[in-house]
Amino acid sequence: MTSELLVGLIGLLWLIALIAIRIPIAYSMIIVGGVGVTVLNGPAIFMAQLKDLAYAQFSIYDLSVVPMFVLMGNVATRAGLSQDLFRAANAWLGWMRGGVAMAAIAACAGFGAVCGSSLATASTMGRVALPELSRYNYAGSLATGTLAAGGVLGILIPPSVVLVIYAIIVEANIVTMFMAAFIPGLIAVFFFLATIFIYVTIRPDSGPPGDAVPRQEFIEATLRVGPVLVIFGLVIGGIYLGFFNPTPAAAVGVFLVTVYGILRGAIRLPDMRIALLDTAKTTGMIYLILLGAEMLKIFMARGGVPQAAAEMMATSGLPPTLILILLLFALIVLGCLMDSLSMILLAIPFFWPVIAELDFGMGQEEVKIWFGILALIVVELGLITPPVGMNVFVISAMAKDVPMRDTFIGVAPFFLAELVRVGLLVAFPALSLWLPRFLAG
Amino acid sequence: MANGEMTMRARLVGLARKIIEWWALAGGLLLLAVVLMTTWSVFSSAAFGEPFPGDFELTEIGVAVAAFSFLPYCQITNSNVSADIFTSRAGPRIVAALTALGSLIAIGFGGILLWRMYAGMIDYQVYLETTAILQIPLWYGFVPILVSLALLCVAALITLTESLGDVAAPPVDGTASS
Repeated sequence: MTSELLVGLIGLLWLIALIAIRIPIAYSMIIVGGVGVTVLNGPAIFMAQLKDLAYAQFSIYDLSVVPMFVLMGNVATRAGLSQDLFRAANAWLGWMRGGVAMAAIAACAGFGAVCGSSLATASTMGRVALPELSRYNYAGSLATGTLAAGGVLGILIPPSVVLVIYAIIVEANIVTMFMAAFIPGLIAVFFFLATIFIYVTIRPDSGPPGDAVPRQEFIEATLRVGPVLVIFGLVIGGIYLGFFNPTPAAAVGVFLVTVYGILRGAIRLPDMRIALLDTAKTTGMIYLILLGAEMLKIFMARGGVPQAAAEMMATSGLPPTLILILLLFALIVLGCLMDSLSMILLAIPFFWPVIAELDFGMGQEEVKIWFGILALIVVELGLITPPVGMNVFVISAMAKDVPMRDTFIGVAPFFLAELVRVGLLVAFPALSLWLPRFLAG
Repeated sequence: MANGEMTMRARLVGLARKIIEWWALAGGLLLLAVVLMTTWSVFSSAAFGEPFPGDFELTEIGVAVAAFSFLPYCQITNSNVSADIFTSRAGPRIVAALTALGSLIAIGFGGILLWRMYAGMIDYQVYLETTAILQIPLWYGFVPILVSLALLCVAALITLTESLGDVAAPPVDGTASS
């Protein structure tokens, strides 16, 4: 073992220790990265790097899509989109057994199409759908489980902030990543709907059918989701078809959602102020973690830790698919302890070199895309599993009459559905890769 | 007298909090300005075939300056995520002490970066570097960024003193005031 590698491994231990004692993840990465580089390269080089490192990182053009998507989501949560989406979905699905819960899933999917955050999707849709679910006497565990799981769709259906971050770390094309996420996202919606169907077939009392909606109201409710479809079509469709890059698309998205909210009377100055301050919190957090990840990356690359891990795995003689499954499993476990973004930024710089060394019978660019989608899904599972299932916390804080244990129980069937989906995506890479190939012509 | 000192300090802290919030809000408005500029650029290039001149570089500078302006607000609102799972059983005093340690790191980070980026700004002034199209000197952007870093130090100082207060006298409800 070289002494650089030893320093790198010691740094890694320090990083884990700092994170474990509740030092903010960004600062843990910054301090370990900074000290590590100073030890390996001497202080002079690092101090010179620091003159421009943070600015260079913060001014990456591709990254500017992140605050814009965050802002778009924050405006969307206040623009009244969620009510419209739920009303329309309920008009279509509510009459079935379990239909109101299915409507909540469909509305989450629709909201996920303008919002790239899982928590925001869960909490916004929860506010709208939870009262309705309890009005129709849905079992508490089904109602809260559905919404906690539905929130995950916010991340899986483009736009997705985590996916942008992944693309930037591994230097993948953001547009391609968004395309690749689309079909897996649809599968998720379908699986969640099927989960509810099975759930209410086994326990019919848990999800009684709602009222059939009169024709007039049905048409009206359906037409009201027009703006959401237009915004999603323009932003994501525009990106897919190459009309514009992600950043201009996101800017147009922010503009349209804001105009929609203002016209609807839902967005006024105080709302905008809160949306901007919330965006400041999230963006500042993300950028600081990104800076930490960059410093850590410089240190680890100098220490040769990721390369050593990749070499060890490549020469281990284990079949590539097994290694992939092991890494995904590690991500699930780590995702239970940390939020998904920090997780991606911490783990991917180590995991990706390992995956890149393996032979899956496809080109490296395709492996990059495929692994990104898989990683995205498994880190999101941490949001609905104990001990820190943030989606579950948010929903159960809203549904005070449902004990948190019931919410975790209610979310379990959806968790199983997600595992099946991951298995499917591992077995059939084409599910992720077909659309980008097709659209690229 | 001690009381008078306390309120004086409390007033200063309150003022600093206000300034930090307004600074973040100004950054948010800058982000909004970038959004509008980009939207116009998309519209204009679709309608008249000419995008907003220099939209690319204005986005880069604008978003970077905005992102820096968010850092002090993040610190003062405790928005930087940490993994709380391992310390969930620790007493409020220990948690407050660890939070204080986090603030201390933030002060060190803000201070070192302030010093280094000041040097970076001087470099950009001496060897004048500008953006490609609009010829904006790069050091312009560094001025508000340095203010942001100074405010980050102030914010971390405030969170530090608050956590230290919690270490000395843990709040009765058992949670750190953060």
